[in-house]
Amino acid sequence: MSPTAPDGVGTRSGQAFADYVAGDRQRLSDLVDLVTPVLWHAARAQGASPSTCEDAIQTALLQLVARAETIKEPAAVLGWLVVVVKREVWRLVRGERREIGVEQVPEGPAQQLDPESQSVLSERQRLLWHHIARLTPRCQELLRVIAFADRPDYAAIASSLGMPVGSIGPTRGRCLDKLRVSLGSDPGWAV
Amino acid sequence: MSHSDAIDERDFATLGHLRDLYDRADPVPAGLGERLKFAITVQALHAEVAELTQSALLATRGTSRQVESTRIDSVTFSAPSVGLMVSVSQSEDREGHVRIDGWVTRPGAVVEAVMEDRAVTAGADANGRFVVHDLPHGPIHFVIRVDPSDPKARPVITPTIEV
Repeated sequence: MSPTAPDGVGTRSGQAFADYVAGDRQRLSDLVDLVTPVLWHAARAQGASPSTCEDAIQTALLQLVARAETIKEPAAVLGWLVVVVKREVWRLVRGERREIGVEQVPEGPAQQLDPESQSVLSERQRLLWHHIARLTPRCQELLRVIAFADRPDYAAIASSLGMPVGSIGPTRGRCLDKLRVSLGSDPGWAV
Repeated sequence: MSHSDAIDERDFATLGHLRDLYDRADPVPAGLGERLKFAITVQALHAEVAELTQSALLATRGTSRQVESTRIDSVTFSAPSVGLMVSVSQSEDREGHVRIDGWVTRPGAVVEAVMEDRAVTAGADANGRFVVHDLPHGPIHFVIRVDPSDPKARPVITPTIEV
């Protein structure tokens, strides 16, 4: 994955999914490999346990396969999965049986790292974490997820997470700008 | 510099650092991709899932990051409709490859050995025995069709093992 890749992970997932629907069954494996990091971080950004997040991702992929023929825009499959994963995490967290609507998905909490996870970070990563923790929860969620995608995908992922148009991509947007200003004013970061 | 400027190299570098941070602090669990693919396959085949009931030195996947099996031997799977035992040995013809000798409790069943890049089908004889030659090392699972003449019959799928 590179931020300047001409085809982002979203485009490549869309191609893999379109090939799968057209009958190339092996491409589903590529799709899973491509989308798993983005979906994992979109799920974990909601603050749910690892096992809840795994269940949510599995449910989303099974729904995708079950409804494969009816997905209208195969190219937008990554965004579709992000929406379903996020909804599914909240449904599981609340213990509801029925699917919940997008409007019932609350804002994600501030990102948390348990002490054990913090202890494996390098000094520079801890410094970055300090700056991240000062952003709004919505900005923390957005930046966490797009960090696992590519430049052409930012806008679509932001919209799947429920962020307004223009939150990020092609322009920097307020979240990334805030982080940039915050890091820029820290003499400890500018080494 | 403002929020309406285009994203530049410095922003990409920051996002790269952020990705490294979360990769370190909260990585994608080992084996998650394999577990997801397995769940999808089970659903797609409407399959019955066999359990791994006995193994001698064959490691199942997903339990640890590094699966190293020095000697490979035999493993047994069971499902309500069928049992399967496979033993794995070094291929006599091709170095670095394996031969799989299998025995399935339903004679005439068709067994598909599925690896990442290939799938080999073998028919069990009247005693339920079958052989698959010259497979590379790697993860493998089996799909058993107890009654190959009935397309509506549910196949049985085993968990993935490492050969």
